[in-house]
Amino acid sequence: MIKLSGIRKTFGKQEVLKGIDLIVEQGDVVAILGPSGSGKTTLLRCINYLERPNEGEVAINQLKVNVKRASKQDIHTLRKKTAMVFQNYNLFKHKTALENVMEGLVIVQKLPKRQARELAVQALEKVGLGGKLDEYPSRLSGGQQQRVGIARALALNPEVILFDEPTSALDPELVGEVLAVIRKIAGEGITMIIVTHEMAFARDVASHVVFMDGGVVVEEGPPHQLFGTPKEERTRQFLKRSIQEWSYSI
Amino acid sequence: MGRRFEFGYILEFIPKLLDYLQITLLIVAASIALGLIVGLIVALPRMYHIPVLKRISAVYVSFFRGTPVLIQLFLIYYGLPELLKGLSIDASKVPVLAFVILTYGLHSGAFISEAIRAAVGAVDRGQVEAAYAIGMSGFEAFTRIVLPQAAAVSLPVFANLVIANLKDTSLAFTLGVMEMTGKSQTLGMTTQHFIEVYIALSLIYFVVSMILERLFLLAERRMLKYQPELAGHTSKKRLLQGLFLPQFKKGGEQA
Ligand SMILES: Nc1ncnc2c1ncn2[C@@H]1O[C@H](COP(=O)(O)OP(=O)(O)O)[C@@H](O)[C@H]1O
Ligand SMILES: [Mg+2]
Repeated sequence: MIKLSGIRKTFGKQEVLKGIDLIVEQGDVVAILGPSGSGKTTLLRCINYLERPNEGEVAINQLKVNVKRASKQDIHTLRKKTAMVFQNYNLFKHKTALENVMEGLVIVQKLPKRQARELAVQALEKVGLGGKLDEYPSRLSGGQQQRVGIARALALNPEVILFDEPTSALDPELVGEVLAVIRKIAGEGITMIIVTHEMAFARDVASHVVFMDGGVVVEEGPPHQLFGTPKEERTRQFLKRSIQEWSYSI
Repeated sequence: MGRRFEFGYILEFIPKLLDYLQITLLIVAASIALGLIVGLIVALPRMYHIPVLKRISAVYVSFFRGTPVLIQLFLIYYGLPELLKGLSIDASKVPVLAFVILTYGLHSGAFISEAIRAAVGAVDRGQVEAAYAIGMSGFEAFTRIVLPQAAAVSLPVFANLVIANLKDTSLAFTLGVMEMTGKSQTLGMTTQHFIEVYIALSLIYFVVSMILERLFLLAERRMLKYQPELAGHTSKKRLLQGLFLPQFKKGGEQA
């Protein structure tokens, strides 16, 4: 179980997260929705301490990291238990697809090279890139790069994978292949937190949906409830706008 | 002004000068090695914003970039022993060559530290974040992710630096070091065929520079094989720079 309690984050004078509480059960797929600037990325980055919160606690199963007492070791452990898929992929440019996936296994998890290679090949095959092991990121399409990014996260076998708008940097025709891969691994029981603007995807794949606005969680619940019978006016407004945009774009 | 020009002397002088090429190359290799160490040490406080040390680094870099290397040679050769005498250390038995290597090492260290800073700054922040996100330490992220990428993109600048250093070593003769240029002085004096000696000398420098240039180009292609289009681009730019702006841009700021 992942439990965030009272996460606050300010940049300068601007309070971006105003005390976020969130519980994610083992095997949950949580979709986080919200207008741009509402603090979704910052929240994900507070979970693995790419941003250090000003207040609050991040707990992953037994490990509890409160910002007041967070040691270097705590942060390191937190990062080893999580993996992240970035909006703009952030693959290691100077490493091949295979090396990108092996890097964490060899350097962080200290697995022997052969075993790391096996696991990495498996992960890349799972995302449909078994034929691109030795390609450098610069030679892959955006969709392929993001699938390597997913394989890199998957291979580490983390307790949760954090996705930050994994398809929003992609050309429209490449979105489908990445969503299909996420959908597939969601079916395998891996805990995931996904920030996304893909409404249909969130409705179909998520087990729990969170709507954020202005640094707070406005409303959360199972997808049929949040999409079907939203309680809050702000949620209704947001959904209305998103679904309009969504149908215009077709 | 010496004797009448005779082509044959050029051919005669080349092997005589080549005997001293190894001293020149020794100065280049040793001072670049020293410069790499110094450059990294000097770059770190400025990249990690360490107070005081950051200031000292900045002063060091401005001094060695802002004054002629010839003056630096004199200052270190004549000044350092005086300074050491004050600390009652006797430097009179230290060979001149050591002072020369030290000067060129400190000199290129200043340029190398600027090149490192620029190249590390050019590495996308997302690369480090991805490294942290998979659980790497700061040291692992720097050595495994940032440094290889920074080294690859700064190779053209580094190549310019090494070639500039090669040419600068010719000034070591002013302290009486017998490297190629020093030898050319004595050859000129004894034969009175100065023009021939200088033609032979420049031919050797030119060929060595060309060889270095080619080697760096190959190295760059290898190191940038993850982004071949980048390698082609920078090396073409570098060749043009080398042709038209040989002395002005020795390193430092790129992009
Ligand atoms: N490193 C930063 N420094 C200053 N302000 C930031 C930083 N990161 C995010 N912000 C600000 O915090 C707010 C929330 O950003 P973000 O978490 O990226 O929102 P979202 O992902 O929901 O679009 C925005 O107003 C953004 O400008
Ligand atoms: Mg965002």
